[in-house]
Amino acid sequence: MKIECTIDGKALSLSVNSNKPLSLILMEDVGNRTIISHCRGKACGNCIVLINDEAELSCIIPAFRLRDANIRTFESYQKTRQYRDIERAYLATGNTPCPNCYASKTLIIESILQELTNNTRIKALGRNNLPLRNEEQHEEKLDKKAIIQELSLNTCQCMDMSEMMQIVEIALTYRRRKRVRRN
Amino acid sequence: MYEGIRSPVIHTPKTLSEFATIAYRYPSAIIWAGGSYLMSQKEYYPSEIKDGIIDLGSLEEMKRITRNDRFVEIGAMVTASQLLYAGKLVLPPVLQETLRTLASQIVRRQITIGGSLCVPDIRLSLSTTLAVLDAMAEVKYYQGGKVSTHWIPIAKLYDKDGKLLLGSQKALLTRIRIGLEYGDYQRFVCVEDPIRNTDECVIVAFQASRSQNSLSKVQFCITFPSKAFHISKDLESKLSGMTLPIHPERVNTLSYELVSELTKMHSGISELQLERGRRIFESFLHDLNAQSLSS
Repeated sequence: MKIECTIDGKALSLSVNSNKPLSLILMEDVGNRTIISHCRGKACGNCIVLINDEAELSCIIPAFRLRDANIRTFESYQKTRQYRDIERAYLATGNTPCPNCYASKTLIIESILQELTNNTRIKALGRNNLPLRNEEQHEEKLDKKAIIQELSLNTCQCMDMSEMMQIVEIALTYRRRKRVRRN
Repeated sequence: MYEGIRSPVIHTPKTLSEFATIAYRYPSAIIWAGGSYLMSQKEYYPSEIKDGIIDLGSLEEMKRITRNDRFVEIGAMVTASQLLYAGKLVLPPVLQETLRTLASQIVRRQITIGGSLCVPDIRLSLSTTLAVLDAMAEVKYYQGGKVSTHWIPIAKLYDKDGKLLLGSQKALLTRIRIGLEYGDYQRFVCVEDPIRNTDECVIVAFQASRSQNSLSKVQFCITFPSKAFHISKDLESKLSGMTLPIHPERVNTLSYELVSELTKMHSGISELQLERGRRIFESFLHDLNAQSLSS
């Protein structure tokens, strides 16, 4: 099957088996070095990529779903300005994921940051710019739970959850500052 | 690397009638919804897929969410993430909680409602909650050039061990319907990840109506993903009509009745799972008691 897609900014025409998982395509056909394991869909969380700017597990995406997709792996993501926020947060906390899960954990954090920064206005003020009522504030508390759920997608035990949460908080501060400056 | 393996043909029907034509022509083609379950199978790749894959991704009519005064209808190709974002007004709270805890958002984008309900051998959170909500599934059977449509209660889609009962004919779950009359007390608890830790996982959904400290319309379902899908009509009817608060000793007795029912009807449930299930069930009743005393 011929698939036209963009991987790390390069427009490619790949001739692969139609049901081949994206993680294997990246490892075997594209020669990407940031995807290092194929867990066969067991959700180890080590094969995260950004497809059309949304984080996805590449081991559960088949080739036939990739037509005209824009795929970004850690290889191109690490050259972006967004990555600097997370990198600085790693440095600030003195905690860095191990080489096995570094790429995936970073992309998971990026996906959380995108989610948080896109929804900030609604979350701070609520709909119609009114302050949140009590029941709506309860949703705010759940956010922490949701972040933990996202972070635990990667099963590597090299960092504990409190360290990861700290990194997310610091990276979020950097990201928001950057946005304020831009505005 | 995988020489000699033919690339499977991908059929992409745009309408249900196109799907029917393809289903008759390629009876053993694999029906592909989100793919998260299929791709987690050991033998998924590399393997020979004879009749190809029918990808449901282009079936727009299976991606709709509609609502009227009495029920919500959700297309089978709606993803868990889309359904969660559909908003508070559309979904019962217990379903929202189920969707939130189903998986991380990254995986939720991939999981479809129909796919999750049609996993053949493992029962996941969604089946448990929808059974409690008395949801119905529209299933289309394709046989002998004819299509027959049936509305089946979710609770009847599975046997007592949680295996899917859609039969040997080609069938397609197209949408589900959830009634908007539900109890004012709803709870959902899932202990352990049903995919990563299937043998220790317990999923419980519970709903009941309360009026003047009296319980009615109690419904609950307890699931042990690969071992049991249990709805106890006996306990449900015992609980319906009870006055709150229920005496702690009675709560204890009821929870042990549940355990003895589970051990009698299902084999292979571990001690840990039984104890977890019992305690979750007990906690719901204690919670009901606490709420009745504080109000």
